[in-house]
Amino acid sequence: MPALRRLAPLLWLSPAVALIGVVVLWPVVVMVQSSFQQIGGEGFVAGYNGTANYAHLFDEPDFVSVLLRTLIWVVAVVAVTMLISLGLAQLFHQRFPGRRVTRWALIIPWAASVMMSALIFKWALDPNVGVINVILHHIGVVQQLGSNQADWLGNPTSALIWMMAVAVFVSLPFTTYAILSGLQGIPGDVYEAAAIDGATSWRSYLAVTLPLLRPAILVATLINVINVFNSFPIIWEMTRGGPGYETATTTIYMIDLKEGDVGQSASMSVINFLLVIVIVLIYLGSTRWKEQVDR
Amino acid sequence: MDKKFARRISGGAVLAAAATLALAACSSSGSGSSAGGSTTLKLVVADYGTGPSNASATYWDGIVSAFEKVHPDIKVNVTSIAWTNFDSEVQTMIQNKQYPDITEGDYFSNYATDGLLYPASDVLSDPGNLLSTFKASDSVNGVQYGMPFTTSSRTLFYNKKLFTQAGITAAPQTWADVETDAAKIKKLGDVGFGLPLGSEEAQAESLLWMLGDGGGYQTDGKYTIDSAANVQAFTFLKGLVSAGDTEPNPGTVNRTDLWQQFAQGKVGMINGSPALIPIIDSAGVLQDSDWTSVPIAGKNGPLTVTLGVCDNVSAFKTNGHQAQIKEFLDFAYQDKYQIAFDKEYDLLPATTSATKALSSDAVFGPFLTALPNSVQYPSDTAWANVKAKVQQTIGLAVTGSPSTELSQLQQVSTTSAS
Repeated sequence: MPALRRLAPLLWLSPAVALIGVVVLWPVVVMVQSSFQQIGGEGFVAGYNGTANYAHLFDEPDFVSVLLRTLIWVVAVVAVTMLISLGLAQLFHQRFPGRRVTRWALIIPWAASVMMSALIFKWALDPNVGVINVILHHIGVVQQLGSNQADWLGNPTSALIWMMAVAVFVSLPFTTYAILSGLQGIPGDVYEAAAIDGATSWRSYLAVTLPLLRPAILVATLINVINVFNSFPIIWEMTRGGPGYETATTTIYMIDLKEGDVGQSASMSVINFLLVIVIVLIYLGSTRWKEQVDR
Repeated sequence: MDKKFARRISGGAVLAAAATLALAACSSSGSGSSAGGSTTLKLVVADYGTGPSNASATYWDGIVSAFEKVHPDIKVNVTSIAWTNFDSEVQTMIQNKQYPDITEGDYFSNYATDGLLYPASDVLSDPGNLLSTFKASDSVNGVQYGMPFTTSSRTLFYNKKLFTQAGITAAPQTWADVETDAAKIKKLGDVGFGLPLGSEEAQAESLLWMLGDGGGYQTDGKYTIDSAANVQAFTFLKGLVSAGDTEPNPGTVNRTDLWQQFAQGKVGMINGSPALIPIIDSAGVLQDSDWTSVPIAGKNGPLTVTLGVCDNVSAFKTNGHQAQIKEFLDFAYQDKYQIAFDKEYDLLPATTSATKALSSDAVFGPFLTALPNSVQYPSDTAWANVKAKVQQTIGLAVTGSPSTELSQLQQVSTTSAS
């Protein structure tokens, strides 16, 4: 009887374990398996292919630049998002009339479909009639509509910057709320103590607020890194990774490869997957998250 | 408090990882099709419409409701897909084994060689009525699988109003004409030559320029994308682009958007098909006398051949609905539906009988006579992959190095062919 009782938790755990097995682990197995198979654009498996898919992938002339771009994309978007969110959260933490309404409004970019937001920005940036361009034209920044200068999404560098801005825009609500909840968890007496010790407000932000916010920042950064790394709709809708692959990240590249060669696309997926794991491990290592747990 | 938070952190991380993976996996499920003795056909069509008023779904719904009255035992579900996404969405259906019964749009010989398609003779009572021009490119080993449903040929459209304003009197016939005329129109503040090399249909625009100097995708059935003639054509285009005579960044601009701009009177010249005419009409900016179309300009004179494109019907055998597909296709290929389609979208018919009925038509006549001399896309199994790469990357050939980009595409074609 006691032996059976010890097994009882398994019964309760089994649905979750089964779910993780079917929804999380099984696709990983299939993904890794596909990456070693020869699968054409029609999805038929034509046998094992050894490491040829990986060899082809590494030989692609765009592969290295796509990897580098992905790195820039993730670091820039997450860093800017965190910085702005820290400021925004501080702002929303203050008492001011209409705070409730503005906090609601902050949810909108989060609630709206990312694809929709990307499309709206794409239209707003249309070189001839886009509203952003028309405004920039009126204030004299854009000399002529329809010109090279107004074609923000046609030039890889400016296209990337605009798309990063959209990525930051849609990441802000979640990040700000995560930090805001962290702020609300800091008791008021530590600030009183800091004030008694003669700390300026800037000093108490650096020495009291930021260290106590660390868990919240840690979670928000981690989730953002994974999200932004795998972000697909923004680039897909705004440039499709073009011209050529000059604005593609690894996720976009993987989807483009899938049209002609599922096997090679799967090998890109595997590398994508490993990269996310490596980035997350490095991040967790560098922030010494174990200390947070053991403290 | 910190401990609790940490637990939440790790929980959050696991959850996020799980969500990421779940998104990476695609769900798939088979679809049953027969219930209570009746069969449901899944018809997937490309949308040729310029808006809700002339969406292709409406055209097909008309055929389907007439058909279902005669054949109460067969139901037809119509799915229409925008052209830009048509190839990839159909391919996704096939990769996920959710096969359609009939598609109308692009046809790929890969599907035939993989044994997914019925030959035309299995699903049409009179396959000989299909225009013979496209028979070779629609066949694999002498058996025809692609069934032309609608066809078009390409011509050079130009805005006569802008030409007059710029002081140009003659129609452009050579590349040199295009260059000087485009420069004059650019001075008016408009786009001289509209060059859509974005992913939507870059393979068509590119071929029209390759043909200008006797090039093309293939010579004698072998890919020669990096031939000297093709490199020369793209070097010419690169000059046009760097002089600012085209719209900015042609590699990112799609045909549909540029055709709209031509219809708004903002573009001097553009290569188009008859499908551009309804767009011009619905914009209501240009009168009939404000524009015209002439043979495509080549290096030394107008092209005597042009690109003939046919959009095909493919019948998938994977669901085993041969008899029902045959009933439906025989019904849909009637002359009246062919002609209705062509009148709706200003495209050309794909059957001999409908062509005869239209040959004296003032609008369609000239395009129809050009059709038999037309050049078609390659039809081998490498083409699907080559075309996808051309669509994504050929735009770089007019900003970067033409020879490098074209030789990379040539490499794709040789690796895809093996």
